[in-house]
Amino acid sequence: MRPLTLRRLLLQCTVLLAILFGVVIVAIKFGAVPVSLYALGRDMWGVLFHQRSGISTDYVLIIQNIRLPRILLGIIVGASLSVAGTSFQALLRNPLADPYVLGVSSGAGLGAILALIAEPHLNLSPMLAALLTPLGAFIGAAATITAVYFLGRRDGQIDGNTLLLGGVITGSFISAIIMFLMSTLSGNLRGLSFWLMGELSTPLQKSIYWFLGIGFFAAAGAIYTTASDLNLLLAGEKEAMHLGVDVPRVRLVVYIAASFLTGLAVSVSGAIGYVGLIVPHVMRLIFGSDHRTLLPTAALGGAIAVVFADTLARTVVAPSELAVGAVTAVVGAPLFIYLLRRRLA
Amino acid sequence: MKEFSRKRLRTIIAAAIAVLFSCAAVARAQSASPLSPTSPTYREVTDETGRTVRIPQPVNRIVSLAPSLTETVYALGLQDHLVGDTEYCDYPPEAQKKTKVGDTINPSLEQIAVLHPDLVLVTKGLNRLETVHGLENIGISSYATDPHTVNEIASSSKKLADVLGAPDAGASIAIEMEHHLADLQQHLASSPPKRVLFVVWHQPLISVGKHTFIADALRLAGAVSIVDSDQDWPHVSLEEVARLQPDFLVFASTHSDTAPATVEMLATLPGWNIVDAVNNHHIAVISDAVNRPAPRIISAIEDLARQLHPDAFVKKLEKEKDRNEKATPVPVQPPPSPLAFLSSAPQHNEAIPGGCACAR
Repeated sequence: MRPLTLRRLLLQCTVLLAILFGVVIVAIKFGAVPVSLYALGRDMWGVLFHQRSGISTDYVLIIQNIRLPRILLGIIVGASLSVAGTSFQALLRNPLADPYVLGVSSGAGLGAILALIAEPHLNLSPMLAALLTPLGAFIGAAATITAVYFLGRRDGQIDGNTLLLGGVITGSFISAIIMFLMSTLSGNLRGLSFWLMGELSTPLQKSIYWFLGIGFFAAAGAIYTTASDLNLLLAGEKEAMHLGVDVPRVRLVVYIAASFLTGLAVSVSGAIGYVGLIVPHVMRLIFGSDHRTLLPTAALGGAIAVVFADTLARTVVAPSELAVGAVTAVVGAPLFIYLLRRRLA
Repeated sequence: MKEFSRKRLRTIIAAAIAVLFSCAAVARAQSASPLSPTSPTYREVTDETGRTVRIPQPVNRIVSLAPSLTETVYALGLQDHLVGDTEYCDYPPEAQKKTKVGDTINPSLEQIAVLHPDLVLVTKGLNRLETVHGLENIGISSYATDPHTVNEIASSSKKLADVLGAPDAGASIAIEMEHHLADLQQHLASSPPKRVLFVVWHQPLISVGKHTFIADALRLAGAVSIVDSDQDWPHVSLEEVARLQPDFLVFASTHSDTAPATVEMLATLPGWNIVDAVNNHHIAVISDAVNRPAPRIISAIEDLARQLHPDAFVKKLEKEKDRNEKATPVPVQPPPSPLAFLSSAPQHNEAIPGGCACAR
C-alpha cells in the first residue's frame, strides 16, 4: 500500500468532483423539457449582477424545482449506497457484497412498506410521520444484514459463497413477502411496485433533503473513523485483532452506519441495485484499496454513477420515465457476473 | 501513513461539510424566489380522496393524467382549457393532439410544470400517490376523483365540472346519464340478469372485483359478474370459471373490428374449451369505454345490454328510431345515441349546448 498523503487524497477528490460537476451539468441540460444552458447562464448572470428579483423563465422553474432536487437526491443516494457497499465488502471480506445483492435493500424496502402500513394507525405529527419510513427502512436493513451475517457464517468464520447465497435467498424471501403484502393490501401500496425498482422521480419536502444530507455525513463520517481498521480487517478478523483492532466495536459501528445509509437511500429511492458493487470496484482499480481514499472516492463515484443513470432513465423514453434501478441493473448485473467468474478462476 | 494525521483529516471533513451546507443554503435561498409572481384567488375544495385542495380561480389551464378525465373534460366542453394529457388519452381523437406529459404511472413532472397548469386532474384508481406528492412539493394543485359506481361517475363528473367552473355542463351531463340509465332499466325490467365473466386480461385471467365501477356497469347492463372478490383486479383460475360456468364472457376492446378474431383465438387456447360460453360463442365484445370512469361508459353499458338481452329491445326499436331522428346513426355501433358525448363518432360541434338540446 502506498503511503497516503493529503495532497493525493485532495487531488483524487478534486478530479472526481470535477467529473461530478460535469455530470450534473449534463443532468441539468437533458430531460423531457429542453433547456438552453446559455440562456440559463445569461439569466443567472442577470440575477447575480443586475439585481434582478428572480428568474422567471420556464426552464429555470424546472431546474430549481425538479431537476436540481432530483440531482441532489441522486448524489446522496448514490454516495450512500456506494459507501455502504464499500463497508460491507470490507467487513465481510467479500468483494461481491453490496446492499442489493445481500438483500439489505429488500429488507429496507420491507421495513419502509411496513412503516407506510402502520403510519395511518399511529396518529403521529407530520414531521414524525415523515421520519417513520426512513426509520422502518433502517430497521429492516439492520435486521436483514444481521440475518445474512449469521447465515453466512460457517465454523465461526464468514464463508464468501455461503454469505452471497444467504443474501440472495434472504432477498428473494423478503421480495416474496413484499409481493404478498402488495397483493393483499390494495390501495396506495400499488404505486410501490415501481418504487421497488428504484426511482428518484418524486420531489420531496425540503426538510427531507436536510435530513438526508446530515444523516449521510454522520453515518459516512462514522465509517470513515474506522477506515484504517478496515484496511487491517482485509487481512482477516483474527489478524486484525492481533494488530490491535477492536474488531467487535468496528463491526458494530460499520454495520449500524452502513445499514443506516442503505435504509436512508432505500426509503427515498427504492432499491437501486449494483451501485454499491460496481462503483467501489472501479474506484479500487483506479485508486487502490486503502479505505482512507476508497471511502471518499467511492462516495463521489456513486454520486456520479446514480446521477448519470438517472439522466439516462429520464431521457431514453421521454416524456415517460424508466426506473433508474433498471438502468443500473442493466449495467451492473453483467459486471457482477464478470467479477464473479474472475474470482472463481 | 504517518504524514496523514487524523486531526488534519477531521478538519478537512468539517470544511467539506461546511462548504456543502453553504452550497445548499445558496441553492435554497435561490429556490425561495416566488414561483408565480401574481397571487391569484384560491378556492378550497375537498376532493374525492378527502384531501383539501387549494385551486387557483378561474381554472384556465388543465392537465389530465387519466384517459377518463380527459374524456370528461371534453364532455364538459372544456377542451380548450386542456393543455396536456397522457399518451393513453385517445378519446376523443383530438385528445391525441394535446401535449403529452408521459404515461399515467410515471408522467414527467417537468413536462407538467412547463405547461403551467392551474390544476392537474388525477384519479385514484390509475395514478400514483407519489405523483400527487411530487406535484404538491413543486406547488402544483391536483384534484383526485375516485368513483366506484356508475352513479358515482355521474356525481363525480358533476363535482369536477363545478371545480372547473362549468357547473351547468356538469349538471346536464349527470341528468343525461341518469336519464339513459332509467330508460335502460325500463327495458331490462322483465329480463333476469345474465351471469357473466368480465375478462380484463386472459393470460393470466384477470377479472373485476365487486367494488369496481365496471362490476356496477355490468349490473346496470343486466348482467352479474360471477367473480365476487373484494380485490379490484382479482386473478381468477380457469377451474373456477368452469365451476361457475358464466352465460357470457364479456370483453372490452378498442378496435371492435379486430376483437372477434382475438376472441376466436380463445377457443384454441389450452384449457379454455372447458368454459361452455367459449364453445357456444356466447361472447360479448363492447367498447373499452367500459374501462373508463367517464360519461361515455353509458354507451358501453347500453351496448352490452343489447348484446345480452336482444329481446328486451326488439319491441321498442321502432319507437326509438322515431325519437332519435335528429341524431346521425353510426353505422357499426347499434345504439344511436342522442348525446354528443356518448356517441363514439368524433364530435366537432360545441359539446354541451348542442349535445343536450335534444334531451331537454
